[in-house]
Amino acid sequence: MTVVNDAQPAVITARHTDNVVVGDEIIRHRRITRLMHWSVALTFFIALFSGMPIWTPLFAWMAALVGGMEVARIIHPYAGSLFFIASVFQFFHWLGDMRFRSDEKGAWKPSKLMAYMRWEENTTDEGGKFNPGQKVFFFAVCLGAIGLLLSGLIMWFPLYFPRIVRELSILLHDITFIFFLIGIITHIYLGTAAEPGTFRSMTRGTVTRRWARLHHPGWFRDVDKKG
Amino acid sequence: MASQTLEIHRSSASMWGTRTGIRSLPTVAKYVDTTTCIGCKACEAACQEWNDLKRVPTSQDGSYQTMPKLQADFWNLIKFNETEIDGNFNWLMRKDQCMHCAEPGCLAACPAPGAIVQYANGIVDVNPDSCIGCGYCATGCPFDVPKFHAKTGKMAKCTLCVDRAEVGLEPACVKACPTGCLSYGTKDDMVALGILRVKQLKDSGFKDAILYDPQGVGGTSVVTVLKYNRPELYDLPADPHVSMGVKIWKQVVRPLGVIAGFLTMFAVFGHYTKYGPKEPPADEGRAA
Repeated sequence: MTVVNDAQPAVITARHTDNVVVGDEIIRHRRITRLMHWSVALTFFIALFSGMPIWTPLFAWMAALVGGMEVARIIHPYAGSLFFIASVFQFFHWLGDMRFRSDEKGAWKPSKLMAYMRWEENTTDEGGKFNPGQKVFFFAVCLGAIGLLLSGLIMWFPLYFPRIVRELSILLHDITFIFFLIGIITHIYLGTAAEPGTFRSMTRGTVTRRWARLHHPGWFRDVDKKG
Repeated sequence: MASQTLEIHRSSASMWGTRTGIRSLPTVAKYVDTTTCIGCKACEAACQEWNDLKRVPTSQDGSYQTMPKLQADFWNLIKFNETEIDGNFNWLMRKDQCMHCAEPGCLAACPAPGAIVQYANGIVDVNPDSCIGCGYCATGCPFDVPKFHAKTGKMAKCTLCVDRAEVGLEPACVKACPTGCLSYGTKDDMVALGILRVKQLKDSGFKDAILYDPQGVGGTSVVTVLKYNRPELYDLPADPHVSMGVKIWKQVVRPLGVIAGFLTMFAVFGHYTKYGPKEPPADEGRAA
């Protein structure tokens, strides 16, 4: 019972406010942010499960998840369109937090990347609410969503386009998707198993102080100063 | 119209087990002699009748041609190409239909398992039970043949009357042709017939007559005698082949993508095994 009582203020605050400290927790994503993120995720996964069986027969079994190949073919373009719309909202919602900062310039040195992947990076580093990798992922998803939309529209209405355009759009759709496939596996891994305490920022909306200091020290400092 | 009795040689979007029989059947083919076609359109009518296709409105485009292009309910169209060659007017009629390629671009492009099959006798057919109507086959076809049927949501095209072929009958169009410009039999016989006719034409002055059996798609099961070696005059591609885009997509990009996906999974599990979760140091308390 005490746990619930302690938890309530943070959860209530997380409905409308983020980047503030409430008790032992810090609000990382307010409710609208989480709704938006899960809208993108849900539409992405419907499009994924309806698109992959069409992509290759190796994943034909996925068609069963959406009701068969014909259903997959029908719902895929709609799910994809909704994914694009959700991605547009996401773009404008997060754009402010995703600007690259001058102190992130060194982040792309291979030694630095390797250090990050070995969990060795210097925790006194500055940085904003999101780290450079998250920002690159964000912009890649936005760019990819445009690529998928344009090629997907051509594939949705093939009769209105010349053959060569259709071929190129299928290629573009496939190549873009492959980047998404690599991206989504990595994104889910980093957001769940690899970095414990991250997933709750997208469910409950909050993270612990220890989590914030470890993963986003610059953001933690700013939020902590604010109180 | 998928055949229940013919063995399948190749099947779309299938990685293994595509062959359903071990017998070696002769490839069948239709022979079209454009030089003896009189443009009576009996084949068009016979095709509509045998295949129970809806009557499609004709269109008047200043030519005798029934309509500009093949449609989902019109699988056999005589093209009336008017052209001038060596100062002489020429009326080049040609039977436009599915060519039943030995290496079908439609089958290569199709993503639905079993939706396009090539029977052991070479006939390429759409299986409506499995077709999802995505139209990839139209993208893969070098002859622009498969058409989307809005009513069924499936693709439709000439079946080479597979339901007649499987009981040993010639296609309806061949049955109806009054001049004998259409013929049906094994591919070998039809090619022999074509070579004979080409020789006749050459002897009577058409020096560059050819038998159109494009090798870019492995040869076709519709072989056409042309009196001019200029297929484009007949609305035929000069060198049709399964396009590079379809090949790159199916044979390069897709396998690479599958490998990339699995490698990423392995990398993620490997990373977790080696480095484990990234936890904050245990000694940090509330103080900043």
